Amino acid sequence: MSCLANKAEDALSASSGFLTSTGISLKPVYYQTILTDFPEIGFFEIHAENYLSKGGPAPYFLAKIREHYPITVHGVGLSIGSESPLDVEHLERVATLVETFQPEMFSEHLAWSSHYSHYLNDLLPVPYDQTTLDRVCQHIDQIQERLQRPMLLENPSAYFEFARSEMSEVEFLSAITKRTGCGLLLDVNNVEVSCFNRRGDPYEYLNAFPMDAVGQIHLAGHTMDANQNLPLKIDSHDDTVCQDVWALYQHTLRLAGDIPTLIERDGKLPTINELMKEAQFADELRQAVIQERHHELTL
Amino acid sequence: MNSHFKSALFSQDASFYNEIKADSLAEKETRLNIYRNNVFVSLIEALSDIFPVTHSIVGDDFFRAMARTYIVEHPPSSPILREYGQSFADFIRGFEAANSLPFLADLAALERNLLTLTHEREQDTLTREEVATVFAKVEDPSTLYINLPSSTQLFASPFAIGSLYHAHQSDGKLRLDEVDIYESEYLLICKSFLYAQLHVIRFSEACFLKNLLQHKSLEEAIPDEADFDLGNMLAKLIEWQLISRISNQPPAIYQQEK
Repeated sequence: MSCLANKAEDALSASSGFLTSTGISLKPVYYQTILTDFPEIGFFEIHAENYLSKGGPAPYFLAKIREHYPITVHGVGLSIGSESPLDVEHLERVATLVETFQPEMFSEHLAWSSHYSHYLNDLLPVPYDQTTLDRVCQHIDQIQERLQRPMLLENPSAYFEFARSEMSEVEFLSAITKRTGCGLLLDVNNVEVSCFNRRGDPYEYLNAFPMDAVGQIHLAGHTMDANQNLPLKIDSHDDTVCQDVWALYQHTLRLAGDIPTLIERDGKLPTINELMKEAQFADELRQAVIQERHHELTL
Repeated sequence: MNSHFKSALFSQDASFYNEIKADSLAEKETRLNIYRNNVFVSLIEALSDIFPVTHSIVGDDFFRAMARTYIVEHPPSSPILREYGQSFADFIRGFEAANSLPFLADLAALERNLLTLTHEREQDTLTREEVATVFAKVEDPSTLYINLPSSTQLFASPFAIGSLYHAHQSDGKLRLDEVDIYESEYLLICKSFLYAQLHVIRFSEACFLKNLLQHKSLEEAIPDEADFDLGNMLAKLIEWQLISRISNQPPAIYQQEK
């Protein structure tokens, strides 16, 4: 009985870590530090495709870390926007990973990366038209049915718009959530990158975004492309979160209230302490918004 | 649209530009170039992660050019990138610019092999104490059967690729100028616990281990080679944690086959 009660408490405290305290990307260079120092971090996010081995260090260390922290699983290879059918074998592997490690959330991208048997390792954009909407919704239905849980779909970072698009990105994402019941992962850095690249206003984008559907936020760094012709921002995930993105994040929290947040980093990895500082800064902004809202309610 | 987009990424095909909203052809090209660049840079990096020693030996410019050609001819088929490059060694063998490095394809195959093995499921092996306990109980150890994990592999290489690989590791155990690449080598590739291991072994040790993999008893497995030292070989197998089972019988499956 007491053992069960303890387990329930552990489960509760673990998931409240995800809800209230900002997480960071899990990378192999951090495994030892995490398992030695047990730093105070809300949760760790993994890329599904890096943890699908039968053996080796990745599943071993993930299992150890999962004993102490909540995790979220972020897929980068299901290619939801593809014209070709979903890779059922890959979906099966991802589903097994989700069943094994019981993440707080499973998320994927509004993008395509595979065309039949070719994988291009980039998140490529889709046109926002009725045909694509139908196909994306069908793929999300298929994933949610297999995973037996709702997933989150991430807004893309894009470098061009399709001439054939019939609706805005926000309209497209809103329609998907209504039809499939999936949630959204709002990547605030992607909002900055895409709006800059299509010469739009990121605040207007956020004001129109269906915040009720947002289950998680991503914050990351970006860089300027080196081309001399046209200023374009690249979603590089290899730098600290910049001031513009922090301001957009604060605006998002004011619109939506507190939302579980991740500091996403994939390149030029700093020490785990550097990422924790950014996570703590996000926590401070979240606390400030909770207090603002509380103050408004009591007034 | 996907297949049209894909061919525009891999070529300078301009017909896809009709799909892109922009004021000029130059703008369309600049925008599409971001994706072209992302695809190649990320896949070149993936190959570099899988073949770090190959990369280091040929240098950055050569590796990137070679990888680029490979990516166009053999794009990945799986979203699990660590599985990429299965045909890279064969590609190198036919890549004319790499002809002056006749060992390069074998080295790439070795790197690919080690990574694949690292990601395979772990097999239980006996601890030093467990091995000692078994040996203490038997009167005549020569009648014993020693099994190695089924993933254990032996190779004879015409080049010293095992030493070349070791000389590129950061442990500093072997210097590059100590390696004579034109010496042949016997290699043991095996896994215990999380990571694949590579050992350069003697011919006599390779013969012995091959016999063990064929489920011969210790007595039958000892090669007729003057330099073979059974005690030393067993000590190495214990240190590498490569003994999965010791018994006075061959494994049951093998007995049935007999």
